Amino acid sequence: MSSVEQAAAEQPQSKSPAWEVKAAKQSRLAFGLAVGELARRDEKVAAISADTIDLFGLRPFLEASPERLIEAGIAEQNAMGIAAGMATTGMRPIICGYAPFITTRSLEQLRNDVAYANQRVVIGGACSGIVLAMSGGTHHAVEDIAIMRNMPNMTVIAPCDARQTWQAALATEQLDGPCYLRLGGKFDEPDVTELDADFRIGKADQLRDGNDVTVIACGALVAPALAAAEALAHDGIGVRVINMHTIKPLDRDAVLKAAAETGAIVTAEEHRVTGGLGGAVAELLAVELPTRMRMIGMPDEFAIIGPTARVREHYGMDQNAISDACHELTK
Amino acid sequence: MNSNYQAKIDGLKEDARHIRRNIWRALHGAGGGHMGGSSSAADILAALYFHHLNLRPKEPDWQDRDRFVLSKGHANAALGATLARAGFIDDSVLDQFYVYQSNFGMHPDIKMAGVEMSTGGLGHGLSVGLGMALGARMQGKDFRTCVMVGDGELQEGSNWEGAMAAAHLGLSNLTVILDYNKIQQSGTVTQMMGLEPAADKWAAFGWAVREIDGHDMSAVVEALDALPYAEAAPSLIIAHTIKGKGVSFAEDSFLWHNNMVTDEVYAKALAELGEPG
Repeated sequence: MSSVEQAAAEQPQSKSPAWEVKAAKQSRLAFGLAVGELARRDEKVAAISADTIDLFGLRPFLEASPERLIEAGIAEQNAMGIAAGMATTGMRPIICGYAPFITTRSLEQLRNDVAYANQRVVIGGACSGIVLAMSGGTHHAVEDIAIMRNMPNMTVIAPCDARQTWQAALATEQLDGPCYLRLGGKFDEPDVTELDADFRIGKADQLRDGNDVTVIACGALVAPALAAAEALAHDGIGVRVINMHTIKPLDRDAVLKAAAETGAIVTAEEHRVTGGLGGAVAELLAVELPTRMRMIGMPDEFAIIGPTARVREHYGMDQNAISDACHELTK
Repeated sequence: MNSNYQAKIDGLKEDARHIRRNIWRALHGAGGGHMGGSSSAADILAALYFHHLNLRPKEPDWQDRDRFVLSKGHANAALGATLARAGFIDDSVLDQFYVYQSNFGMHPDIKMAGVEMSTGGLGHGLSVGLGMALGARMQGKDFRTCVMVGDGELQEGSNWEGAMAAAHLGLSNLTVILDYNKIQQSGTVTQMMGLEPAADKWAAFGWAVREIDGHDMSAVVEALDALPYAEAAPSLIIAHTIKGKGVSFAEDSFLWHNNMVTDEVYAKALAELGEPG
């Protein structure tokens, strides 16, 4: 029985949010469900779509609450400005965009109107990384973490699965400033976390203990990191795995503790190694506790075209590359 | 014309003159700045803040206030002068233009009382104002939002995204005022990237458009009093203005878009602008 079927069997008559999130399997859809839940909890919450209603599974929300969903059309600059303006009036806008477009096409609005003016705008970016690898470099988002993390006031979250996306999106309720959530695309993401896991923005999850090397991963690279750690255990290598779902603010304590206790760090992200999770970890360690590191991620180039899994493999953003890096650091 | 009305217009003209003096005061203190586009906006700002907008200067965060966004943020000296006269900020702030650690820089900063959005990057205000107008509609509030844009600024494509969306959404609670002084940093708008036919363009986008002389206070007041111009469409006021209005040597010259203000220049400007109000 697949996990989707299992989830359905658990609550076959129910369409409770928990059931729907369990069935969702895709972070973009979990985010869309969270938009509905946040809107149910707070009448100030409204969604802004950039022709992304179906990308985020927002059609049921649109049908139930048409007045709470603003369709901005294919116009990200305007969508971002609208969100900032709405937020100044006390609304809680949530932008649902494509990661490659919402972080670059609307970059000045993002910087000035949202981050500089410090408005409570939540930005969901679907199809991040090389989810749309076959679409070509125009549709890849492998610099979005670097961009967003360089915005003062901005919280940056890259959840590792649909369930954590749900938790992270709900947790944005507590934030006073803007937040970016980095999401996947239209294929299932392996479940890593539980819906009732203890999730806190800025508090990393240690998914596995180990004392030889630590893999700090985010998003789509968390599941391969766990698989690598499990395989390496058979070789007698103890790999600690940290799911660094919040890139900013970075959980400094978790990084420093791992560096001190394991003496070697591998970062893994579906993003360029410059300026992303690897950069964030390296910046911290360089100052506080210089530690041997390897960074798994995209090099300084635009990605090739192809099926996502093949392109991930091409750039070593997979279990094998993580495993090789761990071996190298524990020689 | 009744005498009360004329007194009102005269009072607003005096407000505008006072704003212009304080634009030059702030710029003189700072050593220079954008007097051209600040001065062209002064009459409209006077009419907005001392006649049209529903505001509580001592309660700047009052939820139901009308919103004003200065999209052409480089005219911040004019906004500061207006906010000081209206009582949002202390008059002494006008001597803090560009000053270390002040909130009164070349462009509006949301941290300053009365400033609704940090602007300066051009082509942002319309979308932000659109969001404010939507915020009003979604919360069942009847406050109105007004955005002042510059003419050169309309070369930014984001304005046209906003123009399309505001009309599509039928936001009659949104007004844009175009401070059409015809001159931008490096030359005339016509030379740089022509805007004409401006009224036809906006009308074609679905806006209800009126054109006025932006220095005729009666015309400005009447245009504001007549808002909105359509039941389910946003309104645009095209205000034909003169860059640097009020000081002869600065009028209609792109050299005074942003220029230095020496003691000598300041004295000449003040001589033309009359006694302190």
